[in-house]
Amino acid sequence: MAKIGKYLLRAVAAALMASPIYWVFVIATGYHGAAYALPPVLRPLFHWAPFVYVWTHTHWERYVLNSVFISASTIILVVVTSAFAGYALAELKFPGNSAYFYASLGVMMLPQQALLVPQYVVMFHLHLLNTYAGLILPFAASTSGIFLFRQFFMKLPASYREIARLEGVSTLTYLRRVAVPLARPAVATTVLLTFISSWNQFQWPLIMTNSLRLQPIELALSHYMQTYQSNWRELASAALIALLPILIVFAFTQRHIVRAVAGGETPQKE
Amino acid sequence: MMDGGLSAGTPRGTARPNVLSWLRRLQQYALKETLIGYGLILPSLLVFLVFYYGPAIFLLYISFFHWNIFASRSSFVGLHNFVVLANQPLFWQSLLNTGYYVLLVVPVTTLLALGLALLLREARNIRGGGLSQALVFLPHVTPVVATSIIWTWIFDPNFGLANAVLRVLHLPQLGWLASAHWALPSVMIYTVWHSVGLYTVLFLAGLSTLPKQVLEAAQMDGARGWLAFRRVVLPLISPITFFVILLATITTMQTFSQIYTLTGGPHGGAGGPAFSTTTDSLLIYQTAFLYLHFSLASAMSFVLFMLILAVTLVQKLIADRMVFYR
Repeated sequence: MAKIGKYLLRAVAAALMASPIYWVFVIATGYHGAAYALPPVLRPLFHWAPFVYVWTHTHWERYVLNSVFISASTIILVVVTSAFAGYALAELKFPGNSAYFYASLGVMMLPQQALLVPQYVVMFHLHLLNTYAGLILPFAASTSGIFLFRQFFMKLPASYREIARLEGVSTLTYLRRVAVPLARPAVATTVLLTFISSWNQFQWPLIMTNSLRLQPIELALSHYMQTYQSNWRELASAALIALLPILIVFAFTQRHIVRAVAGGETPQKE
Repeated sequence: MMDGGLSAGTPRGTARPNVLSWLRRLQQYALKETLIGYGLILPSLLVFLVFYYGPAIFLLYISFFHWNIFASRSSFVGLHNFVVLANQPLFWQSLLNTGYYVLLVVPVTTLLALGLALLLREARNIRGGGLSQALVFLPHVTPVVATSIIWTWIFDPNFGLANAVLRVLHLPQLGWLASAHWALPSVMIYTVWHSVGLYTVLFLAGLSTLPKQVLEAAQMDGARGWLAFRRVVLPLISPITFFVILLATITTMQTFSQIYTLTGGPHGGAGGPAFSTTTDSLLIYQTAFLYLHFSLASAMSFVLFMLILAVTLVQKLIADRMVFYR
């Protein structure tokens, strides 16, 4: 009896948490005025016409491409800088090694909201306002990425590096051919976490850009929301554009993501 | 002057032994390895210095100097910016709003996350258990603006789901985001929904590391249910609980995107109605980037920085007394 109760409670909790996202579908693909129906409509009708209308009447493809470009560049840079620093911290002896480890952890302790004003000034002087570089470079290094790669490289047998050194293989080649391919789970985790934070980026582009051409999807959505106030079907359709890539990626990798968030522990099987 | 305590192991007094031992310590590093090491940390170091540590230090400078982004000169004004700030009623209002917001969101989120984690704990191996965990976590990865759209609909006073539910329960209808009384609680509901999954997963990770023998031993001694939870489970997961409370406090003290989006965006007067949702981070944003009052905004940022630091230290002090580290 208690088991069934718990089972039901779990189902209810999961349904409640997921229902707002489900409602985006219901309203976006429902009949006209579904958002105003009382009692609320519960079943999506899968009318994709309004979604297509919204998609074709605003330059969403531009904004989606902006987000894709910004996310992809950030991901590549984060993987490279994290693998570099993670390797140096795990395998190389140099003065300042542990100091840098703590310094990179310390970045997480800096309150982001308190830094925005001085960051804006720095961006102004570096001429990075209103540029793609300004949306990418500040996120090109990641504490959690460095930490993950460091943990992973520390588990690699020291003999690998010994052999590479005896064979006269350079550090970069060793990283590219041996260490990083072996650290595939760390790469996957870093890629996923960076994608999520990068795709969901909102406040930074809001402050650091004012050109429509550079807008990533979340910022474009925020402006759209102002123009189409309480046109719920249009708004829900537009929200779906920002939501779908995240939902698709999450559907296929949720185990990996949840485990990564729960403490960077990476799955053993590939 | 030279013996600034570079190495603690050698006797003080003369400069030579210290410098020598310092050099000897350097000798254990191979030059080539050192250079490669510096080369490899350089890219991330540059990012951290230019975009994070640099601005953090710069913040100190611009809060104490009257500072204009377009002027090349600035002069030391000491505490002037802070005096101006202290005379702004809206600044105090924003601190009150932030306090109200944090003091409600953090306990609710933590308790709810712990409850959900306990509920989901045994579900991992049951069919559908993984799915319920994924659905509870899902909101945390969704983009804030996109999901705020659906929540503004839910909170719509006329057609929204929230009032429809209240009507079914025969409760009075609320103005939600349109009312100065309920706007901030509405944002709180969104925030709990958006973040509780993260903390649930953290609690689940903590619960999964509990030593089985201890739990079994407690059961043998007759500790079951609530007693076992309070006396055995709770102390064992206290490090995770501390981490969750700390993380939740620091994050909620800096909430921006959902307040901005839910309460009106760029033209709709975010922070309203009647400044009831103007929290510290929103006020910093508006002061700096809407009213272009950079020196005042940096003074506010400085205060926020110090507040977060203080909260972190206080929580650490409390934790040292209460957290049970194995």
